[in-house]
Amino acid sequence: MKTLLLTAVLLVPLAGAERDMARELDDIARVASVMVEGDMCQRIVTPRALDYMFKVDPHDPWAAGDNYEVNDEAFNAMKKTLIRLSRLAPFPCDVNLWMPIAGHPDKVRVVIRNANELSQFWPWAALFQDMIPQMKQVLETGQRVTVTEKRGWVSVLAPVYNSLGDIVALVEAVSQERLDPQANVK
Amino acid sequence: MVQLEAAPEFLRPDPFGGIVAPDRTSGAGFVRALSLEGARGGYVSFHLAVKRNTPGAYTLTLQFKGDAGKLKVDLFREWFHFTDSDKQYYPDALIPVEQPYRSRLPEPDNRVPRQTAQAFWVDLWIPADAVPDTYHARAVVEADGTTSALPIQLKVWPAVIPSEDVMLMDHNSYGTSWLAEDYPAISGKLGDKFFKSDEFFHLIHAYHRIFYEHRGIFHQLGYGHAGKVGPEFAPVLEGSGRRRHIADWSLYDRHYGPLFDGSAFAGTRRGVRPIPFVYLPVNPEWPASFVNWGEPGYETEFVNVVSEMERHFREKGWTGTHFELFFNHKKRYMGFSWDGDEVRFPVDTHYFLEYGRLLKRALPPDTPVKFVFRSDASWDMEHQFKELAGVVNMWICARDVLSWLPRAPAMLRGRGDVVWFYSGPPVVTQPVSTITQFPLEGWMWGVGGFVDWLVTGAGPDPWFHFDGGGTALVYPGDRFGIAGPIPSVRLKIQRNATEDLTLLADFAKRKPLDELTADAARLYNHTTPAEWWNPRPALADQPPYEWSGTELEEVTKPAMKPLEHIEPDAWSRVRQYVMQLAAEGK
Repeated sequence: MKTLLLTAVLLVPLAGAERDMARELDDIARVASVMVEGDMCQRIVTPRALDYMFKVDPHDPWAAGDNYEVNDEAFNAMKKTLIRLSRLAPFPCDVNLWMPIAGHPDKVRVVIRNANELSQFWPWAALFQDMIPQMKQVLETGQRVTVTEKRGWVSVLAPVYNSLGDIVALVEAVSQERLDPQANVK
Repeated sequence: MVQLEAAPEFLRPDPFGGIVAPDRTSGAGFVRALSLEGARGGYVSFHLAVKRNTPGAYTLTLQFKGDAGKLKVDLFREWFHFTDSDKQYYPDALIPVEQPYRSRLPEPDNRVPRQTAQAFWVDLWIPADAVPDTYHARAVVEADGTTSALPIQLKVWPAVIPSEDVMLMDHNSYGTSWLAEDYPAISGKLGDKFFKSDEFFHLIHAYHRIFYEHRGIFHQLGYGHAGKVGPEFAPVLEGSGRRRHIADWSLYDRHYGPLFDGSAFAGTRRGVRPIPFVYLPVNPEWPASFVNWGEPGYETEFVNVVSEMERHFREKGWTGTHFELFFNHKKRYMGFSWDGDEVRFPVDTHYFLEYGRLLKRALPPDTPVKFVFRSDASWDMEHQFKELAGVVNMWICARDVLSWLPRAPAMLRGRGDVVWFYSGPPVVTQPVSTITQFPLEGWMWGVGGFVDWLVTGAGPDPWFHFDGGGTALVYPGDRFGIAGPIPSVRLKIQRNATEDLTLLADFAKRKPLDELTADAARLYNHTTPAEWWNPRPALADQPPYEWSGTELEEVTKPAMKPLEHIEPDAWSRVRQYVMQLAAEGK
């Protein structure tokens, strides 16, 4: 009930089309919270890649990216789930997977992106970035949050739990009122 | 008082009457008369500099005397870019101008404070069927009732530069969103209609044309790292599973039809010819949705749609182009779980094997349409050459790793593979001759092509706050009312070097290739051909994911060191040698 109330409050100021979009994305995010397996999310990025992520070598500025690797079985299975979730919407949308980083509470990272290359938060090519306040809120409270900060964009963030009941990740169900077919084709 | 002087192509004028610092070399500078020579089917180029100490107007002309037959003069004003890194001016963008050219110093739109010299790039075009002879021309500048003239003599040798280049110079780019930004006069007028307009497709074709005219080709990748496909790069799909099919070719055909039948090149000096290579839009999310990866539906969607593409290309007669199945994604961009580009983890190889199998299933064995499977290889190159033999047949190799595999180019060519290498354009603050190293290096190595990984990214303000041009070899012409790209000094120099090299390689018909390469290396940077290769380092026996970028740089230093600083007159010496051989063969 509390979740529904929060979501409803956040939807009030939105215009008609955005409101419909937000409602659809919220439905997807709610389902995602149930369907996305947190334990599997935790198996995607290798410990080695996480170790390199924060190493700084002035002679080798690409080391973190060069050593970024994932367990493809977990990644592929999770990506399929996210694609299926995105198909619940009657309009093009992506469901992206984000995760916090152990030992770096002020940082967050995207782990899986999808075919519309949509995200309201990801600066292109970032392996990790500063924690997004709304993501922090989701990770701390378990509440879904709708974000419409960028004009024409709607993202609904929802928590992902592992088998221990811990919030270990979050999904971003995201779309844009007017898609830019040429954006991020690079 | 006005003065007209000339300088060889490798000495770029500055806006104050001198030569830019990186290009200065003893014994070379401005001259008051020019004596040039060239082969047929190519260009001879130089700089002209109009100099006046006081602000004022001038008029410039350059004309052949008497009957110059089919020879042509192309005149370009050189834009002086204020370059942020060293706060100096460098000429690079070339604005085509009509003769007589009338302007003033300082040049109003370039806004160089206290400018006293304006540079012009001159191309003299010698068609393949020009009459070998000595031609004379005269450049004249007039100002305040006085004139300064510069006589030009051009000796045209009978030798003809082969139309097929010994090194295919490729120029890469990504998507088309930058076109809207670079051409605000067009995109602003058309608004939402821009990306489906004739003007948009004309712009794309103009980019292909400019590189073709400069003895190169142009690639535009049409999808993103998570598989998003630009609508102008792929036919429209409908349905899923066994019902997935191509529903609409219209945008794809408007984009590519004139490139595949060559009509986009009508009116060019090199003539109508299909583009030799093109990226396909195929990626792990197109035409088959990744949601079905590993299931029968993925294979069905992939095979059915690629088969439809083959049939469409065949029916259209588009058999002069190589269609590249190429994966550009990297796992660091979080779209897919494996690296398609620059594979570092050998475990990723199995994806290539699977796509090789799918491609084979999609194509009739006797298809006249040329499909190739391309891999841009770096860390795991050596392993990929072995594991993907017979699967991947087009290799774009990282320069560093290839430098210790001297047998690889011949081995790959021997099994019928295409093999190129890649790097990026040198910035304008380096000697301008630096750009000649890539065609020469490729030729020394025995590879067939070179890819400049990005050539359309001139930065947010190339005109007054230039980033040096490390990702640009052309500039948007929008600022000058031109609906297409304009060339650069570096592109012209690369073109001329490619012509020289193509002619040099052609002399292998009468002089051993080993001698030609040895002479070229000695004249270029005082090396031997062997010094262009590195010894195979110990780290090559370790898994590539254990190498660091620093280690890689260290082990490739021996061969890279002589290429770090190219003398401004390095290519002039090679060119003289080529001309000497041309003269001997007359």
